Amino acid sequence: MLSLYRPGHGLLHRLPTGRKALLLMLVVLGLSFLPSTYWAAGLAWVVAVLGYLLGGLGLSELWRQLIAVRWLIGITLLAQLIFMPLEAAAANSSRVVAAILLAGLLVLTTRLTDLLAAVERGLAPLARLGIDPERMALLLAVTITTVPVLARLGAGVREAQRARGARGGLATFVVPFLVVSLKHADELGEALSARGVQ
Amino acid sequence: MNSISLDQVGVRLGETTALEGISLNLGARRIAIIGENGSGKSTLARVIGGLVAPSSGSLRVHGVDPVRQKRELRRLVAFVFSNPDAQIIMPTVGEDVAFSLRSEKLSRPEEEARVSGALAAFGLSELAGRSAHELSGGQKQLLALCGAFVRRPDLVIADEPTALLDTRNSRTVADHLFLGGDHQLVLVTHDPRLALRCDTAVLVGSGRIHAVGDPVEVLATYERSLAC
Repeated sequence: MLSLYRPGHGLLHRLPTGRKALLLMLVVLGLSFLPSTYWAAGLAWVVAVLGYLLGGLGLSELWRQLIAVRWLIGITLLAQLIFMPLEAAAANSSRVVAAILLAGLLVLTTRLTDLLAAVERGLAPLARLGIDPERMALLLAVTITTVPVLARLGAGVREAQRARGARGGLATFVVPFLVVSLKHADELGEALSARGVQ
Repeated sequence: MNSISLDQVGVRLGETTALEGISLNLGARRIAIIGENGSGKSTLARVIGGLVAPSSGSLRVHGVDPVRQKRELRRLVAFVFSNPDAQIIMPTVGEDVAFSLRSEKLSRPEEEARVSGALAAFGLSELAGRSAHELSGGQKQLLALCGAFVRRPDLVIADEPTALLDTRNSRTVADHLFLGGDHQLVLVTHDPRLALRCDTAVLVGSGRIHAVGDPVEVLATYERSLAC
C-alpha cells in the first residue's frame, strides 16, 4: 500500500490542501528556472531540506525519501554526465531530485481523503464537460491502492509457478497474472458498489 | 418492515441458471444461507444486497425494491465479502473506514467521531494511521467489518466472512457480526457452528431452496443430502 501520509502537526500539515499544492508547485517551478551552476544545485538541496524541516517531517524522512528515489538519482546523474559537463549535470540532477522531494511533501503531509477532496474541487469546472470529478478522484484513490495489491498478486503467481516447478518467464507469468488481476478488479467493483459507489 | 421477501426470483448468468423460482419470506434477525459450492447461495445474497439484479421475479428488502431503489438500498445494506483485500479502497485504516461515510456528507468533526467510535468498537484504534494492506488477514477482515458497520446499516450481508481466517479471528469476526448492533444479518457460510448461531437457516442447492427453518433441522437435512 502506498501509505505515504505521515501524521503530524507541522506547518504543511496545517495548510489547506489546495494552497499547499499551489505553494509547492510555485517552489518547484522556481527551482526549475535556476541556472545550471553549482550554487543553484546547492540552493535546490537547501530548499528541499528546509521544506522537510518546516514541514515538521525532519531529516530522517528526507533521507527515507532519498533512499526511495536513489535509482532515479543515479540514472539521472549518469545519463547527464555522458552529455553534459559536471556542473550542469549536478545542477540538473539536484533540481530534479529536489522537485521530487518537494512534490513528495504534498502526499506526506496530506491525508488521501483530503487530497481526493482537493482533486474533486480542482476538477469541479470540468463537470460542465461531462467529467465527473468525484469519479475521477475515486479512480485516483483506487489506482493508488491497487498498486501493492497487484504486486502481491504477481508474487503469488510466481510462487505458485515455482511450487509447480515451472520456469519463471514473461509468457507463463502474464496469463495467470491477468486472470487474477481481472478477478480482483471484479471483486473490487462489487465492493465499491456495496459501499455505495454507483 | 425488517423483512426480506422474494417472489419467484430467478437469476441467469449467461447460459447458466444461478437461481430459479426462489420464494422466501425472511423476518428472522439472523439468517444463515448454507449449501454446497456453486449452489447459488452467494448469488442469493448478492440479489438481496442489490449487487445482482434478478432476471425474473421480484423482491423487497426492508420495504425497498433493490432493482428500482438502489440508492435507498445502499443506505440500509452493508456487505462483507470473504476476501478483505478487495474491500479495502483507501490506503490507511482510518481513511478506509471514513470512505464508507462519504455518501453521508457529514461534517469533519461528525465524520471523525463516527470513525473513531467504529475503530474503537473493532479494536482498531491503534491501527488508524497504519497502511491497511499491511494488516494481517484477521485485522483486514475486521477493517472490512468496521467499514460496513460505521454506516450503521439495518441489514448486514456477509458472504463467507470467516473463510480465510484462523479460529481465533473467525470467532472475533463472528462475534462482531452477531453481537454488534441491532441489524438483521444474512450470513452465507460453510461453517455449521456459525449457522447454528442463527435464528433461521436457508439451504440452497442447484439454484433452488431445499429447506428453510430451524438451523438444527436445516443442517440435518443438508447432512442427509450429502450422505446420498
